[in-house]
Amino acid sequence: MKTKSFFILVILFASLIALPAGLALAAKPIVLGAPLSTAFLYGWDAERALTLAVEEINAAGGVDVKGTKRPFKVEVIDTRDLEPGVPVSEALLVVEKLILGKNADFIVGGPVRSEAALAAMDLLSKYKKVSILTTGVLTPAYHARVAKEYDKFKYCFRITGEAGWMVMGEMIPCLVDIGERFGVNRLFIMIQDVAHARGGGGLIAKTMPKKGWNVIGDLEIYPTGASDFSMGLLKARREKAQVILIWMDMPEASILLKQWHDMQIPALPFGSIINPAEQPGFWDASEGKGEYCLANVVNAGNAPSNATQWTMKFVEAYKKRWNIEPEGYGTSSSYMVAYVLKDAIERAGSLKSDAIIEALEKTDMMGVYGRIRFDAKSHQVIPSVDPEEGAVGTIFQWQAGKRVVVFPKKIAMGEILLPPWMKK
Amino acid sequence: MDILIYGTINSIALALMALGFALVYGISRIPNFAHGALYVISGFVTWTFLRALHVNYLLSILLAMIIIGAVGALIYQFILIRVRGMAISEIIASYAIGLAILEALRWGGFKGMTYTLPVFVEGSVTLSGIPVDFHRLLVVGIGGAVVAFLWLFTHYTRIGLALRGMAQDERAALMLGIDSDLMAVVAMALGSMLAGLSAVLLLPLGNIVVEAGYNVLILAIAVCIVGGLGSWMGAVLAAFLIGFAQILTVKYLGSHYQMVVALLAIIFTLILRPSGLFGQQKELEERV
Repeated sequence: MKTKSFFILVILFASLIALPAGLALAAKPIVLGAPLSTAFLYGWDAERALTLAVEEINAAGGVDVKGTKRPFKVEVIDTRDLEPGVPVSEALLVVEKLILGKNADFIVGGPVRSEAALAAMDLLSKYKKVSILTTGVLTPAYHARVAKEYDKFKYCFRITGEAGWMVMGEMIPCLVDIGERFGVNRLFIMIQDVAHARGGGGLIAKTMPKKGWNVIGDLEIYPTGASDFSMGLLKARREKAQVILIWMDMPEASILLKQWHDMQIPALPFGSIINPAEQPGFWDASEGKGEYCLANVVNAGNAPSNATQWTMKFVEAYKKRWNIEPEGYGTSSSYMVAYVLKDAIERAGSLKSDAIIEALEKTDMMGVYGRIRFDAKSHQVIPSVDPEEGAVGTIFQWQAGKRVVVFPKKIAMGEILLPPWMKK
Repeated sequence: MDILIYGTINSIALALMALGFALVYGISRIPNFAHGALYVISGFVTWTFLRALHVNYLLSILLAMIIIGAVGALIYQFILIRVRGMAISEIIASYAIGLAILEALRWGGFKGMTYTLPVFVEGSVTLSGIPVDFHRLLVVGIGGAVVAFLWLFTHYTRIGLALRGMAQDERAALMLGIDSDLMAVVAMALGSMLAGLSAVLLLPLGNIVVEAGYNVLILAIAVCIVGGLGSWMGAVLAAFLIGFAQILTVKYLGSHYQMVVALLAIIFTLILRPSGLFGQQKELEERV
């Protein structure tokens, strides 16, 4: 009899614990519409991270909307906007379908290509739909447009980095640091023929001479799909370049790194954006030929570090869920967006756009990549090199099979190393 | 010297990409727009044998080439044979097959940039002060051997002679007892195997990505148009023309013009000599 009563009590207790989560799951879900280019790293990692965060939040009971616990639901549609030749209009159709067809309460993630995201702003404004970009879009024009026409574009937020800060706040300080440490000052710039690379590479070329560096020749611009970099690398060698700045998101950038290794070019490869080298599988894929390559993955948490107390918890949770470390740009920011929205919804007590915008503007929480706050005028996440102050980026270097974070200093896990053939 | 070395490497790479396309068109008159997809799928099949099933590298390559040859033959036997002789339908059908293959690969999870094949030989050598890796030198050697093999095959074997006969005059070949459909199947299988061979030779230099299929198709078409559709010797010469033009452009004009070279070559060829350098469609002369 006693045993029977004990079991009944256990079942009742378990039911009481499970009840809030069960009620949350029964309540109408809050739909997060995610327009993502899922065949590409910046799309699929965002989908995975967002799914992980939503699973965690729902398992913990969901989102408290004025006393009612509601779960998040993720609706992903492939925009294909990172694929060559796919027109911007495809991404816009996806955004509209998410809003009208899937009844998305919020748009998160993309569109991923800057051009598509800029075009989608008018659509978001038309439907008064709050959107938070988490991946791909680096153009400063996005938040500049919000600041310029706030009333029209106040629905648009970005929780990840942008090219202006990345260049001026991260890459240039990191390059200056490399110069001071190793006594090098000859920079060769190889970029892909796309807008963000031309803009970013051009800004670096313009700024570095003021920092005492010699920028060798003009920008070496490669069309998307270029598969031979020998002439550029030989030029870098001939002109005695000491650092090669690479800004490419095309897969062929891995050919460049392999050629650099095979030709033993005595210059450090510095990947501003170098998509193939970001992924954890790059080491095996390149058979270690990408060692010493630096890569900027935009936000902390996209490679293991101790930026905040949450960073390694996120890294471990991602590994457990997807059997791989966070994969690159767009991972940690897509994870955080669900938590930031949960926080804003709970403070606003509503899903209405104006209330959410006001709550998001007042967001101040410690996340995976530091303190997360939005600039009230431009809705751009406030960046910093100190995680206590703002959202921090990450530049890592491939060292002995590991992605070792080397910048910013506050979160660095190791020092930058030069390839042995540079020391001859 | 750098122009000579890397121009040769670039040219041989282009020739390898284009030979399969030229061969299939030369014999069966089918513009195989699935050529790029067959190139990519060869890489993934080799990768699967090597990395997932842990088969020996050489055996993986051989198995992949056999499979791709069979895929090519099946594509012809079950799909292209039905539209043979209808040029627009051939293009649409083969392009659709290519798209289906590439999308199926993506749907099957073959996305990302971490699918790679190892180089055949590690290390590099310095030739007249210019560093070159052994694998690129192997590409040149094997590329040359492939061209020589094709010439010998089409001049000294029964199947090769039958293929040439069909390329020269299909009706006459039929009267001589050559089964034109069988030869077209053989040509498609051979062309697909050449796409596979170029893939296993060139993909170790970078990574295997679905998007490469489109680039390879465009380059193959450019080479074949300049060389003359159907003439594989023309394709080889056009590959050298475009290959060296690209390297010279990168060196003296700017790297961002290199893709324009291939497209400009197509435009100029179509304006000045529509049948290409060695194209003889109009004259109905020897194509292989």
